[in-house]
Amino acid sequence: METVDISIFSLGLVFLLLAVPVGMSVYYRLNMTGAMLFSVLRMSLQLFLIGIFLKYLFLWNNPFINAAWLIVMILVAVFSAIKGSSMKAKKVLVPIFISFSAATFLILLYINVFVIRLDMVFDARYLIVLGGMLLGNSLRGNIVGIDSFYRSIRKDSKRYLYSLSLGASHHEAYLPYLKESVQLALKPTVASMATMGIVALPGMMTGAILGGASPDVAIKYQIMIMIAILVSTILSVLLTIVLTLKVCFTGYGTLREDIFEK
Amino acid sequence: MIKFDKICLSFDGKKIFSGLDLEIASGEKVVLSGRSGIGKSSLFGLVLGFIVPDSGSVFFDGVRVDEKSVWDVRKKAAFVDQDVSAGYGRLGDWFSSVSGFKANSDADFSDDRIFELMDRLDLKKDLLGKNVSELSGGERQRSALIVSLILKRKVFLLDEVTSALDKELKKKVAAMFFEDADLTVACVSHDPVWSESPNARMFDMEALEWKR
Repeated sequence: METVDISIFSLGLVFLLLAVPVGMSVYYRLNMTGAMLFSVLRMSLQLFLIGIFLKYLFLWNNPFINAAWLIVMILVAVFSAIKGSSMKAKKVLVPIFISFSAATFLILLYINVFVIRLDMVFDARYLIVLGGMLLGNSLRGNIVGIDSFYRSIRKDSKRYLYSLSLGASHHEAYLPYLKESVQLALKPTVASMATMGIVALPGMMTGAILGGASPDVAIKYQIMIMIAILVSTILSVLLTIVLTLKVCFTGYGTLREDIFEK
Repeated sequence: MIKFDKICLSFDGKKIFSGLDLEIASGEKVVLSGRSGIGKSSLFGLVLGFIVPDSGSVFFDGVRVDEKSVWDVRKKAAFVDQDVSAGYGRLGDWFSSVSGFKANSDADFSDDRIFELMDRLDLKKDLLGKNVSELSGGERQRSALIVSLILKRKVFLLDEVTSALDKELKKKVAAMFFEDADLTVACVSHDPVWSESPNARMFDMEALEWKR
């Protein structure tokens, strides 16, 4: 069972659908036509290029190139995580890069070696595709986690300092904020797992089924990736916070002001 | 007990102290006076290491306050200010979270001890079940004083702790701290109950000299 290909002409017919949002935007003066078309154009171009790129990546299937591309993906994820938070890139770049890499590589290796049992652990189809899903899904959690941790300590500095004055160790003083931020970061992942399959058919499963896989293979992959996302998210959020502590606090246990973007 | 040695401090280019010298001896009761913004609260922040001076040193019990020693200072000094931020949960939960800090494992947070102090400070028992955010300013301040007394701190840094209390209670609280010979107390307060005490020494933060 092969996936039915979409010809270039047929793809053009999909773009015809855009007349609907453009028409609505004009009629209701939503002022969104430009931004919408720009995003569609950008998405198409990016995907077109990545399509060519992936074709060659799969063709060569060289473990070193694959690993190098995964690192590029991690770097992009790190920069968008920092951009989405209120932290200064210069201060937190290295610790966040280390935690993203550790979390992604560890989980991928475990899955590729023990679960899927690949002969070639760095096989592009699994490394890049699964790595992309892990990064894409843990990214949002990371932004929420690190941002809420440092911002709530800053906003709540009186309470935080007061607990230090009551004899709390640094660890004891930041623990309530850590707890809150990790809960916040994981909430959407946990919630979406609970409704999975009922409310929405997840993207990976849809892709696998369209790609010709039978539904029972597709669900096994989906279960695997959901658990992998949960683990890599909590791992990278916690690592990110723990590894940035040294940079973001003074020896007195107070928060450094120069870690925040103005 | 506490010694400020040639402290220079500025915030956002504004000079707060330029070479402040001040020594508070063990057992002394000091009232700090001066208009607001003169740096009375900064003085307490310096002792607890929340603020680090641009130059000069703070000594606590003979030891220079730095990144290492400050953690011990915080176990010996109690700091209570006018709007204590005692967490979000119920008052009783807050007491138990403080008693849960490793450094406080020896403190007596038993119900008997808490009720005894609540009684002395005119607080009703059922306050323990209330949310901290529902307490009045005066109730929060007294709760914070109770914690510092349970922790058996010997040095107290008090910032306007009687502002929200009625006249009788002001007297009672001031007496608790100023008539106990064991305690070293530095306080900022506009309430005359503190400065009228025969034990009080007065330090004028504007002229930077002892008045009494």
